[in-house]
Amino acid sequence: MNLQEYISSGIVESYVLGLANTEDSAEFERMCAAHSEVRIARDSFEKQLEKQAMDHALEPPASVKSKLFAEIEVEKDHAPRPKTLKQAVPAIRPVWIRYVAAASIVLLAISTALNYYFFSQYRKYILKYDELVSSQTQLVNDNRNLQTRLQDYEQAMNLIRDPAMAVVKMTGVAASPSSLATVYWDSRSKDVYLLVNNLPTPAADKQYQLWAMVDGKPVDAGIFEMKDGLSLVKMKNIPQAQAFAITLEKRGGSSLPTLDAMYVIGKVTG
Amino acid sequence: MNITGTYNEQELVSALAKRDNQAFNYLYDHYAGALYSIVLQVIRDKDLANDILQEVFINIWRKIESYDPSRGRLFTWMLNIARNAAIDSIRSKSYQNSRKNQAFPENVHIIGSQVTQTDVDSIGLKKNLEKLKPEHRVLIELAYFKGYTHEEIADIEDIPLGTVKTRIRNALLQLREHLTIK
Repeated sequence: MNLQEYISSGIVESYVLGLANTEDSAEFERMCAAHSEVRIARDSFEKQLEKQAMDHALEPPASVKSKLFAEIEVEKDHAPRPKTLKQAVPAIRPVWIRYVAAASIVLLAISTALNYYFFSQYRKYILKYDELVSSQTQLVNDNRNLQTRLQDYEQAMNLIRDPAMAVVKMTGVAASPSSLATVYWDSRSKDVYLLVNNLPTPAADKQYQLWAMVDGKPVDAGIFEMKDGLSLVKMKNIPQAQAFAITLEKRGGSSLPTLDAMYVIGKVTG
Repeated sequence: MNITGTYNEQELVSALAKRDNQAFNYLYDHYAGALYSIVLQVIRDKDLANDILQEVFINIWRKIESYDPSRGRLFTWMLNIARNAAIDSIRSKSYQNSRKNQAFPENVHIIGSQVTQTDVDSIGLKKNLEKLKPEHRVLIELAYFKGYTHEEIADIEDIPLGTVKTRIRNALLQLREHLTIK
């Protein structure tokens, strides 16, 4: 339907006389806002209607006016309502409100989609974060262990380097020729440190024990675990000795060495 | 009121919004007759019509802020207030009770047929109704002077809703032709 057909469809008359339904009225108001031709057609019919009504006016009784104005006065006294008149605006309001409403809905949809997207991303990153935190904790622990081991090695290194340290090399006996262990004996403090160069791994119920040979008699210098001996392990203080030896004893050590279970022996030199 | 004692529509509306008595006096003197004539075309009873006219002007006085110039002229707005007030009163319970012996659809037709016999029918839109085809005339009677919705009319007349709308529009266009020729 073109504009002229729309104007002459009877909608103008229906609207002005209040006979158009809500939908048609709303459309007509949009058309008025959009097209001056429609406004002109409406105005023309309104003027015609007004003129016709004025021409056929009927004088109401004077009592109506006097009663009316009496009531107006009462209203004025009881309800003084200073009002400002809304500025006459062209009826473009319904049009842009529709666009704003449509835009709001679109924005809401976009926002909902983004919310969902960001929420799922957020959950994904929470999981990744947890993984990172646990792997970082693992790294810190590993590092701490390495630090501890490094300190142990450094300490051992310092002891070995010390010039006051007497070195007693204990070599394997006939039954165990490849065995080898070394005693570092501090000539000032008489502290004894042991380094296992090579010993067979003992059974679970057995333990190696170091002995000092003092004037032909064995003196207990302490028991040790293989894994500690691989670094440098501090043994009992021995004030004097002519030789050191290691025997394999029952776990916890013995008061006297089992001589046929001796693995290494070495004399103190110098 | 301005020096000449008359108002253009915009001046009148803003003066009314300030509850200016003189503006309201002017409004009444200028338009009461035209609105009274409309009320009488809907309501036969003069005493009731007088009350309705007073109610119409009270409503104009109270609701002037709701008049939106972008939707049409002041007179059109007042005309619709007057017609609606008159229709509300004839469709009210008390008015219907006073005629309760008549069943609803017959009621419409009886009132419709009486319309052409009273003196106010010689004026305004109503006068021109005679010139319409009967099937058009009855629709304008029901819609404009009785205030039935298109759906109600489709029901009463037993014709499709779309036909009601089309016939009313055609009838209005013809009425307008007659207004112009006059």
